[in-house]
Amino acid sequence: MWLFQWSAVLLTTALLSHSVIAAETMTIELTFTPDLNNGRHVYETCAACHLPEGWGSSDGAYPQIAGQHPYVLLKQLLDIRDGHRENSIMYPFVQVRTIGSYQSLIDVVTYITRMPMHPRHKQGPYNDFSDEYRQGKQLYQQYCASCHEDDGRGKDEARIPKLYGQHYPYVMRQVGLIRKGLRDVDPVMKGIVDQLSREELELIVNYVSWLEIPEGEKAPSAGWRNTDFY
Amino acid sequence: MSQKINRRKFLQSSAALAAASVAAPGSQASESGKTVEAPAIGRHFSSPAPLPAQKGPRVVIVGAGWSGLTMAKYLKKFASDFDVVLLDRKEQFVSCPISNAWIANQVDLEFLTHSYVDAAKNNGYLFISAMAIDLDRAGKTLYTTEGAITYDYLVMAPGIDYDYARIGVEDPEVEQQLRMHYPAGFNSASEVMAIKHKIENFDGGTLLMTVPTGNYRCMAAPYERACMAAAVMKQRRVKGKILLLDGNNGIRIKADGFRRAFSEYYADIIEYESSAEITDIHLEDREIETEFDNYQFDDAVIYPPIRASRVLENFRLADPASPQKEAAIDPYKYHLLDDEHVYVTGDSRSQPFSKSGNTAHSEAKYVAEVIIAHARGEEIAWRSPQTMCFSGVKTDPLESMSIIAFYKFDEMEKSFAFDRVHLMEKWSQRSGQAGLAWAEGMFRDMFYS
Ligand SMILES: Cc1cc2nc3c(=O)[nH]c(=O)nc-3n(C[C@H](O)[C@H](O)[C@H](O)COP(=O)(O)OP(=O)(O)OC[C@H]3O[C@@H](n4cnc5c(N)ncnc54)[C@H](O)[C@@H]3O)c2cc1C
Repeated sequence: MWLFQWSAVLLTTALLSHSVIAAETMTIELTFTPDLNNGRHVYETCAACHLPEGWGSSDGAYPQIAGQHPYVLLKQLLDIRDGHRENSIMYPFVQVRTIGSYQSLIDVVTYITRMPMHPRHKQGPYNDFSDEYRQGKQLYQQYCASCHEDDGRGKDEARIPKLYGQHYPYVMRQVGLIRKGLRDVDPVMKGIVDQLSREELELIVNYVSWLEIPEGEKAPSAGWRNTDFY
Repeated sequence: MSQKINRRKFLQSSAALAAASVAAPGSQASESGKTVEAPAIGRHFSSPAPLPAQKGPRVVIVGAGWSGLTMAKYLKKFASDFDVVLLDRKEQFVSCPISNAWIANQVDLEFLTHSYVDAAKNNGYLFISAMAIDLDRAGKTLYTTEGAITYDYLVMAPGIDYDYARIGVEDPEVEQQLRMHYPAGFNSASEVMAIKHKIENFDGGTLLMTVPTGNYRCMAAPYERACMAAAVMKQRRVKGKILLLDGNNGIRIKADGFRRAFSEYYADIIEYESSAEITDIHLEDREIETEFDNYQFDDAVIYPPIRASRVLENFRLADPASPQKEAAIDPYKYHLLDDEHVYVTGDSRSQPFSKSGNTAHSEAKYVAEVIIAHARGEEIAWRSPQTMCFSGVKTDPLESMSIIAFYKFDEMEKSFAFDRVHLMEKWSQRSGQAGLAWAEGMFRDMFYS
């Protein structure tokens, strides 16, 4: 009897201080050791669209994912799974029933991170001798470099994607979606995109597509094939 | 049965009459032998369809298949000011892709079935269940069983029809018999249902399946279907074989994979014959004739060559020079060569792209942008459609292989050719799951979000 009353009292207190309780967040930290072999296995789920090489398509329908930072990749997968990034076509692929648990996500992300990048990704129309390139460079340094870095390598800890090597039409499309409010991003990124004109964005994206991919991250040639899958 | 359905049925039968009277004004006999007042029926259909007042440029889309559904969604998504009307003669959507997996009980029918009403509601356009029966391009008016609809842009996405004449069947009665008893199963759910029933009840002997020539719908599906049917037979321990007669001189796609699957899993069931183009069929003897041989069968699934939907011809849009009776359209922008307000997409397009759902889906997104750009006096760069196709080869659990390919215009050949083909013929359980996830993602995209 006493016990029962006591718990009733506790419940009342809990209800009264509801707002306080709700404001507290709980953090759970989980640690995983990546298993590359399983990562390769899981990647079969991705390969049909992102290609065995992870190079995406030059028309921008699929991004190059090979060599992207692990936390950036993981964030995208979880955002799509949780509905924070709208992508109906990708959605079923990132569900537990298809791709697997957190361990599988970590494994596949690790596998993708280590894939060599396409050495000849699709670039924008203005090459590095052009005025447009120079204007794009200036704009990039002014608006983008503080987060994405001068060389476009991004920052994994802050989930800021690597930009070099990405197909020009893919980045153009994403920037367009962000502008129209069809892709949710970090407010700072959104603020900057909204501030720039269409022409300025195009110059920036063009410049980004001409950033060098470091030697060690590239596949030896465009004819290289990921023999794990053929 | 509800009154609404009865009324629709009535409308459909009167629609057939109206269509006949449009095609041949002289013939006015109805089923009961009484003459019909053609002009009265004509008037009925030319009164405007009950649609809300038009807001913004109106795009009317004929056919709510993979192409039409995607087009309607992305027109609204990219240009919310557009007034988009999608119509289909069917009341609900049942997917052809993955229906082979359904034949082998790897998914249930619910997985394939979706509602047009959901699609329209979730994506902000209008759906009407009606059949398109005539077109007046000068007056930019489409006539349907629900009335006349005026348009600024018309998209024809009506899919395919079978062309039995190309396997030597000229007599409409024989064609009817074939459709009824040996359906191809490449156009509607009821055909696929009949085939599933056939395979589940097949009790031995020879089950004939055929692969047509030409650019038929879904290159890999007839081979996949043979695998799925063989898997069911294996499970049921039926003493019988599948005779797969291929009109082509070899397996058209994923050839190594299918050949391996036939011999590894189904060596005692599937008998494959290439270069066996059908020249005639003798129904009463259950015999099929090819150039080199005659074959007897106990039951059959006969897939004749295909052509663009007949409605293109009825609307005087088919190019008489085209072997598959497709319309003459601009290969990059998809509009009729003489009319920038009428577009043809999906499996009835004339470009030689693979006739698959993923091709139709990626293409429709692009054509939606082409139409919006046209309305705004802009232009957009051409993008290749993508063909992606998973084929199940083994069941319980489903194991599949896949291909993804793009196209580019070959200046020498003056035609489109495959570009960047990625063929993954190592089948696996993961790929089987990926195939189902692909379909689920497509359904999500077309119907729900
Ligand atoms: C067994 C099978 C397996 C397949 N597997 C795959 C696969 O794995 N992957 C893949 O990508 N593709 C696959 N396909 C191919 C895919 O189904 C087609 O390519 C796709 O449906 C084409 O889309 P569409 O919109 O052009 O035509 P459809 O989907 O056929 O749609 C046309 C619509 O138009 C309507 N219509 C026609 N005339 C009228 C009219 N006069 N008035 C009103 N409405 C009308 C029809 O009712 C129909 O709903 C498969 C097909 C089959 C049959």
